[in-house]
Amino acid sequence: MSPAAHDAPPQDEKASSAVKRFLFERLGLESALALAAKKRVPVHRTTLFYFLGGMALFLFGIQLVTGILLSLYYKPSPDQAFESVRAIMTEIEYGWLFRSVHSWSANLLIGVLLLHILTTFMMRAYQRPREVTWITGVLLLFIFLAFGFSGYLLPWNKLAFCATGVGTEIAGTVPFVGSYVLLVARAGEHVTGDTLARFYSLHVVILPLAAFALLGVHLFLVQKHGMSVPRRVAEKHGGEKLVPSIPFVPHFLLRDMVGWYLALAILAALAALFPWELGEKADPFGPTPKGIKPEWYFLAMYQALKILPAQVGGLEWLPGKTVGVVFFGLCGLVVLAVPFLDVGAGRGGPRRILNFLAAVAVVFFIVMTAWGLTE
Amino acid sequence: MRPALRIIAPVALLVGAAVVLAAQEKDGAGQPPKTAPAAKLAQAPAVADDDNSCIQCHATLTDEDQKRLLVTAQDLAADVHWQKGMRCQDCHGGDPTVLEIKAHQGKDDFKTVKSAADIPEFCGKCHADIGFMRHYKPSPRTDQLAEYWTSGHGRQLKEKGDLKVATCVSCHGKAHGSGADRAKHGILAVGDLDSPVYRTKLAKTCARCHADKELMAGREYHGRPLGHDQYAKWRDSVHGKALLDKGDLSAPTCNNCHGNHGAVPPQVDSVANACGTCHGKVAKLFEGTQMRHKFEKEGLPGCATCHNAHDIVHPTDDMLGMERGAVCLQCHAETERKAKGGTLAGAEDAAKLRKSLEQLKREIELADTTLSEAERLGMEVSSPRFELRKATDALTNARSLIHTFKVSTVETALGEGSKVVVEVQQRADAALQEHDNRRIWLAATLAPILLVIVILLAYIRRMPAPAE
Repeated sequence: MSPAAHDAPPQDEKASSAVKRFLFERLGLESALALAAKKRVPVHRTTLFYFLGGMALFLFGIQLVTGILLSLYYKPSPDQAFESVRAIMTEIEYGWLFRSVHSWSANLLIGVLLLHILTTFMMRAYQRPREVTWITGVLLLFIFLAFGFSGYLLPWNKLAFCATGVGTEIAGTVPFVGSYVLLVARAGEHVTGDTLARFYSLHVVILPLAAFALLGVHLFLVQKHGMSVPRRVAEKHGGEKLVPSIPFVPHFLLRDMVGWYLALAILAALAALFPWELGEKADPFGPTPKGIKPEWYFLAMYQALKILPAQVGGLEWLPGKTVGVVFFGLCGLVVLAVPFLDVGAGRGGPRRILNFLAAVAVVFFIVMTAWGLTE
Repeated sequence: MRPALRIIAPVALLVGAAVVLAAQEKDGAGQPPKTAPAAKLAQAPAVADDDNSCIQCHATLTDEDQKRLLVTAQDLAADVHWQKGMRCQDCHGGDPTVLEIKAHQGKDDFKTVKSAADIPEFCGKCHADIGFMRHYKPSPRTDQLAEYWTSGHGRQLKEKGDLKVATCVSCHGKAHGSGADRAKHGILAVGDLDSPVYRTKLAKTCARCHADKELMAGREYHGRPLGHDQYAKWRDSVHGKALLDKGDLSAPTCNNCHGNHGAVPPQVDSVANACGTCHGKVAKLFEGTQMRHKFEKEGLPGCATCHNAHDIVHPTDDMLGMERGAVCLQCHAETERKAKGGTLAGAEDAAKLRKSLEQLKREIELADTTLSEAERLGMEVSSPRFELRKATDALTNARSLIHTFKVSTVETALGEGSKVVVEVQQRADAALQEHDNRRIWLAATLAPILLVIVILLAYIRRMPAPAE
């Protein structure tokens, strides 16, 4: 064997580098690799919060996969919706698993998103130049809440049917446009098969498209601006760039994966030990079942609207529900506008009012949710 | 013109015209009374009480011996005849425009009700006349009078001259007075909620006489005393509770079994037919049995033999078999066989039927418990739960088929239920098994996931520190 032949790379290595060259040349993967190599994640006391975004992304991926599998068998009509979900749970191989994982994962996702937003707020990670990242994140939360609301009706069971009626009725109390919102949401005056079709379309087409678009912008901005470091940490190390960090690939990604596997294990355990129940088929002419409640993430709002008086201050033109809906709408706007309301963010000034409002909101959410659950 | 005359004049003209028309038709059959052509009455302006000489006198009678002739405006206001436009003279004749006693005397057609015995024919004059009644309804009943004379009441009145029996006004009159003295005016329509014969009030109306111990004392029908406890028994029965407590207007009251105007107690051979009016399937099954012939031979009153007559309770499985509380014991117990014609074979069949019934009940209960356990564990078993209803239906069907008194027929029906239960039980067991399998699956899934996590953590720990 000649020395030249000895030094030549083996055949399979040669082939793989040919494939690599082919892909790199056409897909421009060099820049992606360069970006991955360049991306670093700061290491400090609250680094754990950085995992929440990746966790939300992972759960969204689970939603996509299980959702696609469910859509292969689900039939969105009032005559077949309930039966098809029952068939998924009893007749389709591992159908019970996909449905339960889909439902549990949706709930975990909302929980993770709420935590993600709360920790981002705590770290003031929305400050310049990350205002749009914050706005897209909050909009994504709203979209996932809409995912939850629309998906809740799809099994067409009694609880979902009535809860959708109540939910859309609340939307109908929005001043000026409420009646139109109600008609558009229900595809008519009442919750019917048309509402089911509309919610299905919303759940599997409109919301995913919107979610992908916003997620794309959100991830791009995260990539562009990098991870935000709390001002106090940056100052301690003499600047944001001087804060110790680890490469995203592979150091942070591997740690991320530990979290994902953990989430997968939790989902599997929840699905196997507490399968998501189906309930009884919806009966549009039947009585409203006692104790109807929305999903836990709407419970605080629902409970608050429930305890509001029919008319505020005895004024006939000021229904309690309308006041509540307008109030929660304004709350949503305030959350969206947080980066602009925190005027002292850039110079590290105090944030007393926003902190107070956030604390009140968190306490309100926990107390009202607990009240709703125990009632 | 004085206001009163404004009303009297057209009325007088109308009445006059009616008299002329009636005279021309010579009281032809099927025509309404002379002074009250029904169609015209409906349109005629109501004669004000002040202008009705009948009321002017009869509403103010105070002498004790004349009180029986008292008719108040309130009585008439509620009266269906008055509401339909009929006036005093349409039933009694006479002339209401004459404000003197001559109103009675001057007319040949003046009719009085001298005793209760006159009432059926008095009412029947119109109510048995299809031509007249058709003015008010396209398909009116006109057989009430004929029926009445075949009833226990009618026969007692006609044959024995018993004036205490019920006549038309006893049941249809406003709720005051009693028996034959019940108000003769203020007759309410049957559908009127206040009518004494409205479904929910009928039994109480019958009870006014039939629960009166003194009135019923010594009275009998076909040699058997009438008794006075029927209402109390019916009130506590499944039928009484359904009608009065649950408001189920389809539940039977007195007239459903005894008839309305031709009310008589159903006889031994017709009890099953009376019950069969509602319980058609069971009655038909019973009709084709040997048991029915035996009952007739022994003088036993069909359904009432086991279920009683008025105090009918909700039937339970305890009524079947040869154990304490079972109705079969009444004839098939060893001590009763000779006297009642029961047999040992019948006793064995009864015991067997009960055993088979209990067997299916136990199977259904077990399947139900297993399904509940699966539901508690979060398993989806609504489909087998729905299927289990078929077994319950089969059990209900078998309970009906007991009235064939054929073991094979009942056991075939029970077998259908058993077949369903076996399948449901299998599915319920499979759900529980599936639940166990999921735990195994979970363990099998968690193990590699946790292993990967451990490997990842170990790898991360061994990774060289990244360059700053």
